[in-house]
Formats: sequence, C-alpha cells, structure tokens
Amino acid sequence: MNYLYFLYIEFLAKHNIPQLFGDLTFYVIPCCIIFCALLVVVLALVLFERKLLGWFTQRKGPNRVGLWGILQTLADAFKLLCKENITPKGADRFLFNLAPVVIFVPVMIALGLIPYSSEFTFMNFQTNLLIFIVIGALPVLSILLAGWASNNKYSLFGSMRSVAQILAYELPMAFVILSVAVLGSSLNLTQIIYAQSSGGGILGWFGIPCIIGFVIMFICVIAELNRCPFDLPEAESELICGYNTEYSGMRFAIFYLSEYAMLFANSMLLAVLFLGGFLSPFGKYLSPIIFPPDVSWIIIYFEQAFWLFAKTFLIIFVVIWIRATFPRMAQFDLLKFSWAVLLPVSILNLFLMVVLKYLTGGGYV
Amino acid sequence: MSKLKLNLGPQHPSTHGVLRLILELEGEKIISCEPDIGYLHRGMEKMAEKLSYIQYLPLVDRIDYLAGFFYSELLCRTVEKALGVELSKRVKAIRVMLLELNRIASHLLWIGAFLMDLGAVSPFFYAFREREVILKYFEKITGQRMMNNYFVFGGVRRDIFSLEDVENIINILPDKVKDYEALITENPIFVQRTKGKGVLDKETAFNFGITGVNLRASGVNLDFRVKDYLYERIDFNPVVLDGADSWSRYKARVLEIKESINIIKQTLKVLESEKELEQKLVNPLNLTLPEGEYIQEIEAPRGLASIYIKSTEEKSPYRLKWRTGSYYSVNLLRKILKGAYLNDAIAISGSLDIILPEVDK
Amino acid sequence: MNWTEFQNIFKDCRLEGEKIVINSDLLKTIEFIKTNYHFEMLKEIIASDNGDGNVELTYRLFSLEDEEDLLISINVQDEAESISSIFESAVADEKEIFDLFGVKFIGNPELKRLYMPEYWKGHPLRKDYKEDDERLNWNE
Repeated sequence: MNYLYFLYIEFLAKHNIPQLFGDLTFYVIPCCIIFCALLVVVLALVLFERKLLGWFTQRKGPNRVGLWGILQTLADAFKLLCKENITPKGADRFLFNLAPVVIFVPVMIALGLIPYSSEFTFMNFQTNLLIFIVIGALPVLSILLAGWASNNKYSLFGSMRSVAQILAYELPMAFVILSVAVLGSSLNLTQIIYAQSSGGGILGWFGIPCIIGFVIMFICVIAELNRCPFDLPEAESELICGYNTEYSGMRFAIFYLSEYAMLFANSMLLAVLFLGGFLSPFGKYLSPIIFPPDVSWIIIYFEQAFWLFAKTFLIIFVVIWIRATFPRMAQFDLLKFSWAVLLPVSILNLFLMVVLKYLTGGGYV
Repeated sequence: MSKLKLNLGPQHPSTHGVLRLILELEGEKIISCEPDIGYLHRGMEKMAEKLSYIQYLPLVDRIDYLAGFFYSELLCRTVEKALGVELSKRVKAIRVMLLELNRIASHLLWIGAFLMDLGAVSPFFYAFREREVILKYFEKITGQRMMNNYFVFGGVRRDIFSLEDVENIINILPDKVKDYEALITENPIFVQRTKGKGVLDKETAFNFGITGVNLRASGVNLDFRVKDYLYERIDFNPVVLDGADSWSRYKARVLEIKESINIIKQTLKVLESEKELEQKLVNPLNLTLPEGEYIQEIEAPRGLASIYIKSTEEKSPYRLKWRTGSYYSVNLLRKILKGAYLNDAIAISGSLDIILPEVDK
Repeated sequence: MNWTEFQNIFKDCRLEGEKIVINSDLLKTIEFIKTNYHFEMLKEIIASDNGDGNVELTYRLFSLEDEEDLLISINVQDEAESISSIFESAVADEKEIFDLFGVKFIGNPELKRLYMPEYWKGHPLRKDYKEDDERLNWNE
C-alpha cells in the first residue's frame, strides 16, 4: 500500500498538484474501488448461489437473461431499484430509513481491512483483525433497528432472534480468533498470513493445527450471517422474511447486497485466518515460473488475489452446499449448541493452541 | 410477561393454503391457538342439494385436489352400493392402482412441503420430481393432472393403458425414497426438530377424531383399507409406529409410500390377467337413489374420508355431508400447539398434513 | 353392544334400521355408551334438516375393538346439548352445524360462525333458507 501511495504522490507531483490533495484523495479512491468491486462481486455471488442451488436441486438455475443467465441478477437488481419504497403505517420513519444505511457502512469497512495481496490492503492497521471483529458485529444493530422500526411483529421476532444468535456466536468466534492470533503472534492480517508461509504450501496453514477452531469459526460465521441452517432471523416459513419483511425496493436491495457482501467478507476472513489468505497452496507462486521476471513482479499480486478469491469461493461453495442440505435449527437448540458445545470447545482450543505455540518455541509474545 | 397476539396467516407461506391461526404468545411460547378457517369455503354440501349426481361428480375432486380420486371414488361407491352395481375385477384393480398412485403423489408432496416448513429447500424439488412422473401418467390416462374426474358411476371413464409407465414408476420410486431417507431421516437437525415434538398420544388422538397416518404413527392399528371391499384380495400391512411425534408421522408416510408400491405391484398382476374391461355403467340421466341414508368411508391420505347421503328419490341428494381428515387435524391444533415454540409450531402443524380445501369444503 | 341391556336403561329410545333414535338425554346416553361399550371415537356428527323445523343430529361413534360404527340420532329444534365435554372433536362438528343449521349447542366453548362471515344472515343448509341476500347478486 505504501508503495502505491508513493507512486500516486509521485504522479501528482509531476503534474504540480500539492501533496495535501494527494493525501486527502488517496483514501477516497479505495472506497470507490471497493464499492464498484463490491457490486460486481455481490451480483456474481448471487448468481453463483442461485446457479449452485439450482444444480443441487436438479434444476437449471437462471438461464434466460444474458448468456447462461449471467445478467439475471443485474436484471433483478434493476427491478428492485425501480420498485416503490413502501414505509408501513406506524413505522418509525427515521429509524426505518436509517437501518439500511447502518448495515451498509460496516460491510464496506470490513472489506477494506482484508489484505487482497501482500501490498494491497486498503486499511492496514496493526490491529486489523480486532477491528474486523468489532465491525463484523455491527450489522446486528441495523437488524435490530429494522425489526423495531418496521412495526411488524414478525420483523420484531426476527430481529430479536438475530440479536440472541449473534450474542451467542460472537463469543466462541472471539476465542477462536484469539487462538489464531496466538499462532500468528500478531493481530495484523498480513502478518498472520505470512506466519502461515513457514510450512511451504498447505502444511503451514493454520487450518491444520487449528482444525477445531476452523470448524467452530465456520459454524459461527454461518450463524452470524443468518444463513441456513441458522437462518432463524429470516426463517421464511415461520417469520415470512424476518427483519426485512416490510422493506421493499431500494432498501431491500441494500439489505440483500449487504448480506451477500458480509458473506463475502467473512469467507475471506476465514480464508485469511485458516487457509493462508493470498498464499499459494503449493508453497511457491506460479507466476515467476510462467511469466518472464520483468512482468511477473506485478502479476504476482494478481496471482495472490486469485488464490484468495479461489479459497473464498471454495468456502462460499460449502456454505451454499450446507444450505441445500440441512433444515433449519430450532431457536432453543441453536442457543444451547453455542453456549454448551461451541464455547467450551473453543476455550479448549485456545488452550491447546497456546500449548502448541509454547512447545514449538514461539514462547509468549 | 405480557402477552402478544400474533396473526399467522391466512397469507402466510407455511400454512399450506389459507389457514389462519390466531396465536397468543409469551415470548416465542404459544399459550393459546385458535384456528380460523373458511377462507376457501365453496359450499360443497349446499351445491350437492342443487345438482344432480352426475353434475356433482366433477366437483368432488376439488374437495381435496391433492387426492381427488379418493373423493370421486366415495361418491361413485355410494351410488353403486345404493343401486347394487357390482364392479368387475379389472375395474377394481384400476381403481385401487390409481388410488394408491394418488396416495403416493400426495405423500410425496407432503414430504416436500414439510421439509420446506423446516427450512430445507432441496427435498421439495426431489419430491416434486417423482410426483411429476405420477401426475404425467394421470394426465396421460385421464387428461388431467389433478382434478381427474375419471371414476364414473359403475366403473371408469375409459380403459387404462400404458401400464409400463406404472411399472417404471414403481421400479424407480424405491431408489428415490432411499435417497430421501438418506438426506432426511437421520439428518441430525431434522431429528432434533421432529423427535419428541408435537407428541400426540392415543387418547388425545381418539378424543379429537384423528385418523389416518397421524393416528397410526401414534401406535394405533387402524387402517380403513383393511375392511375396504376394493382391497379385498390385496395383501398389505398397515404401517404402525409408536413414536407419536412429528418424526414418526414423517417416517410413517415414507413407509406408507413403500406399502403403496407393494399394493400397486399386486394390482398390476391382476390387470395383466384380466385384460377385458367389463363394466355396467349407470345411466347418469335421471339417476336417483332409493330412499334412505347411505354412509361410505375410505382411507384417504389425510385420514378417514366419508360421505353421507340422504336420498328422497329425487334427482339431487336431500342432504350430503363430507367427513374429511384434515378438518379434525385443524381442530387438534388448538391443543397440540399449546406450549410449543413458534418455530416448532410450524413443524408440528406441518407434520399433521393439513390441506385447506379439504377443511373448508 | 347389547341392545336389550341398553334399552332397559334408556327406555326412551328405539331402533330404526341401524340407528338408535333417542328423544332426550343426549349427553348422558353418549357418555354411557362411551364408558360402557368402549366407543372411543366420534367420527362425525351429521346434521340434516327434516323440513318440519326439526334438525336431525346423527352421532357416529366408533369402537376400535370391534371396528364398528354406532349411529345415535336425535331430533332437535334450535338447541341441543353439547357433547364437547366427552369428545373434543365434537367442538369442531358442533361449530360447523351451528354455522350451517343454526343449532345452538349448550356448553360448546367456541360457538360462532365458521365458514360464513360474522354478519351473514340465516343458516344456508336449512331447508327454509332463502337466497335473497343482496350480496349473492354481486356478479349479476
């Protein structure tokens, strides 16, 4: 990132533009990039999910709009944007309108914290990971707002369920993340990824020593995203659509978008923490072998991004697979599962990881 | 804690039609449930008093559109019994075969819809895929997918054909049922959501007039097919399970599909040996039944279905009454949902296999 | 069930075909039959307007042991005893009969309109029901 920053300032200096302007605008650019990339990724993701679900259930999935249905989600998004925004009678107007905004901001920030390649993190702080956890829990605030402001009992139920669920699953997740931080001796995502490069390829990834943690974290991420089998907050057959029952048009589109963006961000976090992030699974990057050295130094960044996205989509594939297989859990069992099973196991996992770190000579950092 | 009144339905995604439940909740716990029906009332009984028997026959399928054959069979049977018409072996075999195919189709739809209620998407499509094959066959021989209007007084509308399709269905189905069982039966979340939920003990079931699969899943061996004259020469075992919970009701339906396949196999043998269709159709013009009261019953997919006709030797019945299984299941909801949680309530009411046109008539 | 024994206890009844016709004491009779002859299930209650202002209620009881039906019938005018305390399923049946025939069942906890809307006039399956309600002509 620093490298890019210098390039940018140098570029501005050539055209006699003061550095202050560069300093100010440099952080606006990534926001725009994230936003545009986000839209594309989410549209692709929705199509990916619908296609996969179609194949799982022996259907063809969307296949009419555009080639193989590629433009289907675009058409859907366009339709949603054209629809009327309805505010129900008796709803708290201000909070009702605020909720979609509140869910959108943390998602954007979360995406900025992920290291896409070794030099390319939009916001590279020393405590990236910690910020991600804090930001990642914020959407529940919006869900609570949406449920409360809609003046609908089903929405209220949905949001209440969501709050209980996220409270229950945030804790084991925090313990698992702590154990990864111990293994990587850092709270910075880039450094955690580099800590996984020691084994050379797959063997060095934290997913192997910390397999229990990986599974727990995976479950927690699904739960936190309100996806099947933990989709109680928007359980279609019980609560109609949960907290976004009363939302329509643009506002619903934002909820929908943020949900998928959050899925993407959290899957990327999983890939970063346990699957080596942008590291190649073979231990060496492939681009220096394929391309001549004068171009491979830049192509390597794209290769790193490719590995990260490949791992992310693998995780998303599993999430969709689970959705196609399992029924929904009951609220009671869901909370019991977290407090009685996941929490103790995650604490045990943390303990194991500390012991492992001590034995392998890491000492206490 | 203060109570919350929740209006579930009539346009709720999981009430299978237009059932409306007025729930009183404490948190998510249901403390009272009041079913409100009548959104699909078509006045079937009132219509019967205006129409002649043959005019009424096509309407009868609409009482339960998922198991239309059963209701037209009931009306035909009443007329046949009243006039003393004997059915030939082939006609009986055709009727049993179609009834059982219809039962399978109905149970398949239930499996899909029930799993949909529980939040699983895929089984719905799998179940519908097999149901589609059966409906295609119905369409082939009767011209209709659901409201078939195929049975007539004294026989069937036309002879049956392309039995190889039926053979094909009963050859494929066991494998497919195995697939569902692999996907659903032992699925830990499914077991967690259904085992021990919605327990319906024998006494309550009797008290509420529950019949059919729901009763047999509570450990009562009561299948009205055993004494049915159509099923005289057919060898089958009613499915009886002891669990009395939602899971047993699911399992009983799966086993019943297998049992129905068994029955269809036997009817196919009869159809192969009896090639000639002999039937003495009743002339529907000026058809009147002798004075008196007639009651006929049949084991429909959703419990005992029966018809009562009081005739005064006129063109249309003096009084006609239907008894349907779902009507009593809806009444049971008042009791069985008490104390359940909201998301269990959906699973429990789903497991009872309520279909609204049958309730509202 | 033993018919002579039954007739000794309830003198006011007669056998008409397969039906036992009683004139009064509906609740008592059915309770007696349920407890003494093990008719555990009420299959349905059939109502039918006789045309002379009386509604004939036929109770179809079912015994699991013998797998046989027992029909008990009674003629009522506008009121009848509810047997919902003996068979819960009667609640639903009586509700339906109240809606369609206008027979009030004393003791039924939820007697109100079922299929017809609350404001509906008359009871449609009565033989004297007139279809002159202006709402019926909405599509003409």
